[in-house]
Amino acid sequence: MSEKKDDGLKEDFEEDFKEDFEEIEEEEVEEEFIIPVEEKPEEEEVEEMDEEIKQMFLSSGIHIGTKILSGKLRNIHLNHFSASNDFIYRQTNYGLYVLNIRRTEERLHIAAKWIAKFIEEGKTHDESSKIVISSVRRYGKEPIRKFSEVLGKNVIARDIRFVPGSLTNPNMEAYIRNVSLVIIVDPHADKQALKEAKIARIPVLSLIDTDDDLANVDLAIPANNRGKKALGLVFFLLAREVLRLIGQISSDEEFPYNREDFESKIVPIMRE
Amino acid sequence: MIMEQCSCCGRKITPYENAVHFPCPNCGDVTIWRCEKCREAGNSYTCIKCDFLGP
Repeated sequence: MSEKKDDGLKEDFEEDFKEDFEEIEEEEVEEEFIIPVEEKPEEEEVEEMDEEIKQMFLSSGIHIGTKILSGKLRNIHLNHFSASNDFIYRQTNYGLYVLNIRRTEERLHIAAKWIAKFIEEGKTHDESSKIVISSVRRYGKEPIRKFSEVLGKNVIARDIRFVPGSLTNPNMEAYIRNVSLVIIVDPHADKQALKEAKIARIPVLSLIDTDDDLANVDLAIPANNRGKKALGLVFFLLAREVLRLIGQISSDEEFPYNREDFESKIVPIMRE
Repeated sequence: MIMEQCSCCGRKITPYENAVHFPCPNCGDVTIWRCEKCREAGNSYTCIKCDFLGP
């Protein structure tokens, strides 16, 4: 009797286990169908730059940086925090850092949109807001003068000297009221303008080379800020884009100035 | 009193500090606030609408 009972129990157990195994196998089979074979990461679509703009950038030397890589730029470039904020393309064999011209082009469009927005806002208000441009660098003086001439009276160029107190001291003659944006060529050289913009709580747009820091800068354009041709090209492109966005010209061909008009006329002294 | 928040670190901005605010350079719809510390350190900010990463 006891053997028969055991046999009966065994059969019951086997049947139970069979059901369990069948359920597990079915689940595994279902899971196999659910899991995809291999998921390949989607490749980022890189838009090719216009060949004409590329040649214009490379011929003017807008991409040439320095042998020094400082501050946040180094941190972002070496640790790969974000691709959209990495302005460095590569380092040459002899140590010179090269800027990414894709980022330069992107940022020039964004900066033009930003400037156009401030100009349009100024028109709607009673007291028109002003934009101040400053450059201590010699090759930057002519481009900013031309830039302010093209964009009108609300864009004030401080090309001779940025008088201390221009943004902070209302008792001075040189004080400028209702400034909505400060544009500088080099944060290292134009530190007086940068300091006063910080105190007066005004946003700052700046050209950034590889050796410059991003402190107190609200929008950076990666570009060579020492070259005569590079500075001329940056302000030529900015002025053309801003005029197009405001609506004064309908296409780029209607812009009546050339690249050479924005370049500095100073001839460098050759030392023997 | 409504205290604005820094777009970089999320800290509440006090009235006496040299913070700055401006429209987003890319979309122009969102107002971005940067506190004094984040501005001094050059910390990056992000637009909540268009995901623009600055400066």
